[in-house]
Amino acid sequence: MIGTTKKPLEEVLAALAPHRKVALVGCDGCAKICQTGGVDEVAQLAQTLEAHGKEIVFQATPERTCNVAKSDPVLQPLKEKIEEADALLVLGCGGAVQITRHLTETYGLTKPVKVGLNSVGHLDTVVPGAVATEECSDCGDCVLNDTGGICPVTRCAKSLLNGPCGGAEAGKCEVDHSRDCAWILIYERLKALGESDRLKRFMEPKDYSRMAKPRTLYIKEGRVA
Amino acid sequence: MKLTELFQKGVFVFTGEVGPVKGCCRTNGGPLPDFVREAAAIKDYVHAVNVADNQSALMRLGSLAASVLLKQAGVEPIFQLTCRDRNRIALQSDLMSACTLGIDNVLCLTGDHIRLGDHTSAKPVFDVDSVQLLKIARGLNEGRDMMGNPLTQPTDLALGAVVNPGFEPLDLQLLKMEKKVEQGAQFFQTQAVFDPVIFESFIRKAERFGVPVMYGLLIVKSPEMARYINENISGITVPRWLTRELEAVPPEGRKEKALEITLRLAKEMAPMVQGIHFMPLGWSDLIPPVVTELRKAGLA
Ligand code: SF4
Ligand code: SF4
Repeated sequence: MIGTTKKPLEEVLAALAPHRKVALVGCDGCAKICQTGGVDEVAQLAQTLEAHGKEIVFQATPERTCNVAKSDPVLQPLKEKIEEADALLVLGCGGAVQITRHLTETYGLTKPVKVGLNSVGHLDTVVPGAVATEECSDCGDCVLNDTGGICPVTRCAKSLLNGPCGGAEAGKCEVDHSRDCAWILIYERLKALGESDRLKRFMEPKDYSRMAKPRTLYIKEGRVA
Repeated sequence: MKLTELFQKGVFVFTGEVGPVKGCCRTNGGPLPDFVREAAAIKDYVHAVNVADNQSALMRLGSLAASVLLKQAGVEPIFQLTCRDRNRIALQSDLMSACTLGIDNVLCLTGDHIRLGDHTSAKPVFDVDSVQLLKIARGLNEGRDMMGNPLTQPTDLALGAVVNPGFEPLDLQLLKMEKKVEQGAQFFQTQAVFDPVIFESFIRKAERFGVPVMYGLLIVKSPEMARYINENISGITVPRWLTRELEAVPPEGRKEKALEITLRLAKEMAPMVQGIHFMPLGWSDLIPPVVTELRKAGLA
């Protein structure tokens, strides 16, 4: 999931300052899980914005706003309403905002598309409704087969590939004592699996060209460029 | 002079450590910066002096420029190079720059995280880790960059690394140490440890790598500093006995006490290692008496 948090209301109001008629687009995918842009949060923000003198033209919450297959069928029928609006405000990740902008452009409309959330990463839910943690940073060449299913690229604060730095204390990371040292977790896990030998293998520097932005995925060809 | 040559000759090697200042050090013929004077004052007692690389992620004068200043003052520098602020291009370039400027020794480190320093909003690099850096540095010594491209002239650097004997689980730290040796580490300086039992169990296991190890001896100056280290510096634990000994003397007697403790630790650990690396935190003037005593006792 893409984690999101709400921008402060003042920042949202500042972004909308020149606009009176606002169309609200949420996302019933990741933003719903983060409780930042599902149907309920969109309705709440609509009320707040009305209280600040805005006119809400419509509220829409596609199942996954980042996916045109889900957002286009919702937004296309609203084309006239979008035209009527001074601006759109998207309660979704940065991707959802840009897909919304892209769709409005394909509809032949030039409307400001504003963002109401901050995207904070590819995060995975460990406690529903409460906690999501970063487990993977999409490096393009997964090493989990060699590290007991625990990602050193992401969960080690220094992305070390060949074992721990010297700073862990009582199993905790030197950077944040509330977090486990990823390398101690990997060590314990591989030991439990009887795969400790993997720890001896030298890991070459990562090929960061696989993370060079912006990436495009050609789905049928299974190819990233 | 490369430290590796000293180790080969069987010399018991002493090193100190200084931290560059936050500020430019163009002297225009004026007095040398304090850290250079601190290093120069001990040059007859140590073989080389580490020059920290933006220590604790605090932005400072570059360790390469500072190393060159030491060299000009007649002190053999150990250029510390961390992966925190440089990608693989910058690391290789800096290694060649160091050799070009007359540096003979480099200590290859991962580096403290930016979170611990004074520019917490900076983008951490960590493009490669310390093991990979050692391999890269060895490649440059052999005349090629990490992509295999030939160099017009290879570097000629002695490659040092660090290890933390107090790390738990120790086996995991030793696995990393072994990788460092395999990839090019020619000598080690240890993180500060104060417990001879812990240190001995480490050294017994590390001996099989056949690489010189220098005992890391941190000079603790006061009980306050002991507490600060335990609370804020990861990977080092100052034992209670040491703090108590410092507490038992009035502030004006602390330096003498620190000297006594340092000498005691040095004597106890010296037989287990090929050298001692002092981390004096500014009290470099305690190094000469310790070195002199060890030599008198036939331990160095
Ligand atoms: S190695 Fe880590 S960052 Fe890379 S794909 Fe696997 S889990 Fe993600
Ligand atoms: S303590 Fe562990 S997780 Fe934290 S930076 Fe060091 S090796 Fe990585």
